[in-house]
Amino acid sequence: MDEKELIEAAQAGDKKALAELVKKYEKTIYNFAFKICRNPERAENIMQETFYSMIKSLHQFDAKSKLSTWLYRIVANHCLMEHRKKRHQFVSIDDDDFIEDEYTTDKTAIPYLSVENNETRQIMDKAIQKLSPEYRIVFLLRDVEGLSTEETGAITELSVPAVKSRLHRARAFLRKQIAAELRS
Amino acid sequence: MKKKQVTCKDVMHHICENLREGLNSERCREIKEHLDSCSSCQEYFKSVELTIECYQKYNIELPKEAHERLMSFLGLDEGNK
Repeated sequence: MDEKELIEAAQAGDKKALAELVKKYEKTIYNFAFKICRNPERAENIMQETFYSMIKSLHQFDAKSKLSTWLYRIVANHCLMEHRKKRHQFVSIDDDDFIEDEYTTDKTAIPYLSVENNETRQIMDKAIQKLSPEYRIVFLLRDVEGLSTEETGAITELSVPAVKSRLHRARAFLRKQIAAELRS
Repeated sequence: MKKKQVTCKDVMHHICENLREGLNSERCREIKEHLDSCSSCQEYFKSVELTIECYQKYNIELPKEAHERLMSFLGLDEGNK
């Protein structure tokens, strides 16, 4: 069965088809959730909540949309809600002039990094955790998951210029954070 | 009217906003020309690319137990089918 048929069968109550859909996307969703929260236990919880929401609302799913896009949206909303409850303080990168002065004028090079190395992973975790989830999610969807600017905008309910602006800031921020961590 | 020359700051902005967009406007061509002759902008470009690549490659395995817990949580484990 292709994905459309699987969705139709699952909507009609076929548990085997539903299990196939979950298996098809579980790795993607687990990794995406991990990339946002950087914690395996929380990623597992988010994955469970995401598929639970998917099953609960599957009857409303419009087959013209992509299931993956729908799942990414559930994960993103879930993570944003979680972060809002915790009221973490993040480095503010909302101001254009600040970004210009602080991040894009620094051109320190970054050497080749192996992501298999634990120290590199810690630097990357530390850098992205300083970035507010609103920017983090745009960066992850567009650059890491490889979605188009339009798809990223549809998931995050942002216009194309707003996605580009957040990407610009997130890329500049992460690049500088990593360069600074490597120097220290 | 004299055309505004591309500066390093323009390149930074362009790289950060449009990297991987594959644009072919006149402005993009000017940016590419600037990049070809400016080593510090090239370094910046490379380091933004490297940052993205690192986050793309940083993946974790879904543990078998987490898969089983998920299927059981959803009532989709073998016994429930």
